[in-house]
This record gives sequence, structure tokens and C-alpha cells, in this order.
Amino acid sequence: MAKLTSQAIIIKGLWTDNPVFRQILGICSALAVTNLMVNTLIMGLSLIFVTALSNVTVSILRNITPTRIRMMVQTLIIASYVIIVDILLKAYLPDISEALGAYVGLIITNCIIMGRCEAFARQNSVWPSFVDGIASGVGYALVLLAVAFFRETAGFGSVFGLPVIPSEWTRWTIMVMPPGAFFMLGVIIWVVRSIGDKELKKDETTS
Amino acid sequence: MKKIRRFSIYYMFLLTLIFTVVVTAVYEIHVDRIEVNEKIKLQKIILQVLDVPVPEGAEDREVLDIFNKRVKSKDVEGNTIYIATSENGESVEGYAIGLQGPGFWGPVYGMMGISPQLDRVLGIAFYKHSETPGLGGRITEFWFIDQFKGKKIGDIQGEQKPFFRLKSPGTAKASNEVDAITGATGTSRAVERLINKDLRRSLPLLAQLR
Repeated sequence: MAKLTSQAIIIKGLWTDNPVFRQILGICSALAVTNLMVNTLIMGLSLIFVTALSNVTVSILRNITPTRIRMMVQTLIIASYVIIVDILLKAYLPDISEALGAYVGLIITNCIIMGRCEAFARQNSVWPSFVDGIASGVGYALVLLAVAFFRETAGFGSVFGLPVIPSEWTRWTIMVMPPGAFFMLGVIIWVVRSIGDKELKKDETTS
Repeated sequence: MKKIRRFSIYYMFLLTLIFTVVVTAVYEIHVDRIEVNEKIKLQKIILQVLDVPVPEGAEDREVLDIFNKRVKSKDVEGNTIYIATSENGESVEGYAIGLQGPGFWGPVYGMMGISPQLDRVLGIAFYKHSETPGLGGRITEFWFIDQFKGKKIGDIQGEQKPFFRLKSPGTAKASNEVDAITGATGTSRAVERLINKDLRRSLPLLAQLR
């Protein structure tokens, strides 16, 4: 397996192997927290933090962890970091912690993190694993922020809580509810895959 | 094979120990701060159900000041009752009682504000629960708790009739009926039970205080 440069890892995490619109992972939280941009931002940052640190820890331990118990070890590591994030949110951002509610704890079950640990951190050294964790996390966060941008403007008429749409315009309340998230996510996947597949086709014809 | 298995067990044990210590340490460092946050949150809820105005986006310090100025707590037979007094501290403007009981998934905690004459609800709010988000979790939503505001508390001591009933949305007719939550029958029934139970228990205690 060729060694990947940091730049290659970043492009994979953000675009070619984006966890949300390519691998279709992390959809549960993508639907649940994206009704407000500020919640999405904190969720995204939490996930980047947990993915990066979990990747680093799994990578550090990769040569001494017995293969048979590697999943238990990964779960332990991920759960510990998520609980630490939960404690920090409860202490410093109690209102957002309440708004995110159970979904912070559910980061443990987010397939993206376990996926990266299994697919990358287990076989790669510490720095590339760290970069991969950050890249996957940012890829996830950007897609969610895109969904949240449309949901918040259409459903609440605001961006990060600041009103941007005059109150005379009727709010699309469905965007605030899960069906709105489903539609928005579907549209985004459709758009980026159309652009992405065009690029792939171009590469195939030129190479 | 045996050697590897023993190593796995020691390894897992040691790793779990290390991570548990780290997580516990992070918790211990922050536990005081978290408790202050919880206290302010409860105070905000109590002020809300007692209809004491709190400015939008008030700082923790401000909430604390308003609470200390307008609300006193009293212990009656093991129950904590919060009494709201007017600005000048002369007259009682309401009582707040705790609501607590099993929900559909886990315990539900709330507060109810009652008028000084014990005849009307000033407001209710739920601050802790484990109900399904989007279904039972909607008990915290404005439309649900706003239904109780201003409702008359019937004088039904001695009878087994409930103070309030939660009915299918759209069918609530009588003055003591409110809309339940569609798709959350379990939570609605549990909340109905605990509101009635706590009212039945607290009203005689409040009567003692007057």
C-alpha cells in the first residue's frame, strides 16, 4: 500500500471518500442535530476532536493490541473521549449540551469513528492517522453545516441565530423536522455525486 | 495460545483502568461547575413556572439574584416548596412544587407553579427526562406546557377524580383536559399520572403554609 501524503489524506476525507455523502455514514446525527447551525457546529467540532484523538490512540497502540480484542479496545477509546467531550460541554456550554442531548453520547455509535480506526489508524502511523481523523471529521462537519444552513434559513429564517429572512416570509416548518433533513441530505448527496461522477468520468476518458 | 489470551486479559484490564482514571479525573475537575449549571437551570425553571420575569439572555449571576430576591424555599414534611414573593417581599405570588415520577423510559422531573389561592396553575415545565426525542420528549415543548397555564385546579379532595387529563389532541373539551402528545401514549399517560399524584400530595401541604 503506497504511503499517502497528508494532502492526499485530506482530499480523501473531505471529498473523494467523504464519510457522509460517499460512505453514507453518520446519517443519524446528520438528521438530528442539523436544525440549527450552532448545534451542528459544536457537534462537528466534537466529532473532529473524538475522531482525531481516537485515531491517534489506536495508532499508538496498533502494534501491541491483540487482533482478537481490537474492537473492544477501539470502543473503549472512543467511549472515553466522547464522555470527556460530554463532561466538557456540560461544564462550559450547558445550553448547547442540553440542545444536543442524547446525540453527544451517540457519537460513540457513529460509524465514522470506528470506521476510520479500523480502516486507517490500525495500519498507519500516528501523524497520518491524526490527519485522517481531522479530515474525516471536517468532511462530516462541512456536509452537516451545509444541511443545517438550508434547514435553519428555511425553517427559522436565521443563520447561527441571527435573523436573515424577514418575518413576513412563511417559515418552512418541515425543514425543522426530520423529514426536512432527509430531503436536504438527499439533495446534497445528489448534487455532489453528480459533480463527482462527472470528474470521475473525465479522469477515465483522459487516463 | 494460552499466553496470548492471558496477555489480552491483562492488556484490556490495564487499558480500561487507565481510561477510567482519565475520564474520572476530567469529571472530578469539572463536577463543581456542572453542579452550579444544574442549580441555575433549576432556578430558571422555578422562576419560569412561577411567572417571575427573567430578562432574555440573563447571565447566571442575574438569575441567581432574581431567584434569591423573589423566591424562598420551605420544607414541609420532607417536600421542598418554593414560594414566590412580590417585589417588595410583602405578599405571596405563588407556590412551586416539584413534579416527579416514572415516565415511559425513565424518571421525569418537572416543576409546577400554583397561584396563591391554590386555584390556578401558573405554569409547568419539565427539566429532566429520558423520553423519546421528538415523541415523549415533546413534553418540554412550549405548546404542551402552555396548555396548563391558567388552568383551574378543581376542588376534588377526597374523590379519585384526576386534576388533569391528557386526551387525544383535538378531543380535549372539559376545563381540566389538555392535549396529549400524538405517538407518545406511554409518556402522556405517565405524565398525567405524575401530575395528578403530585398535586394530590402537595395541595394539602400548601394549604398548611397559607
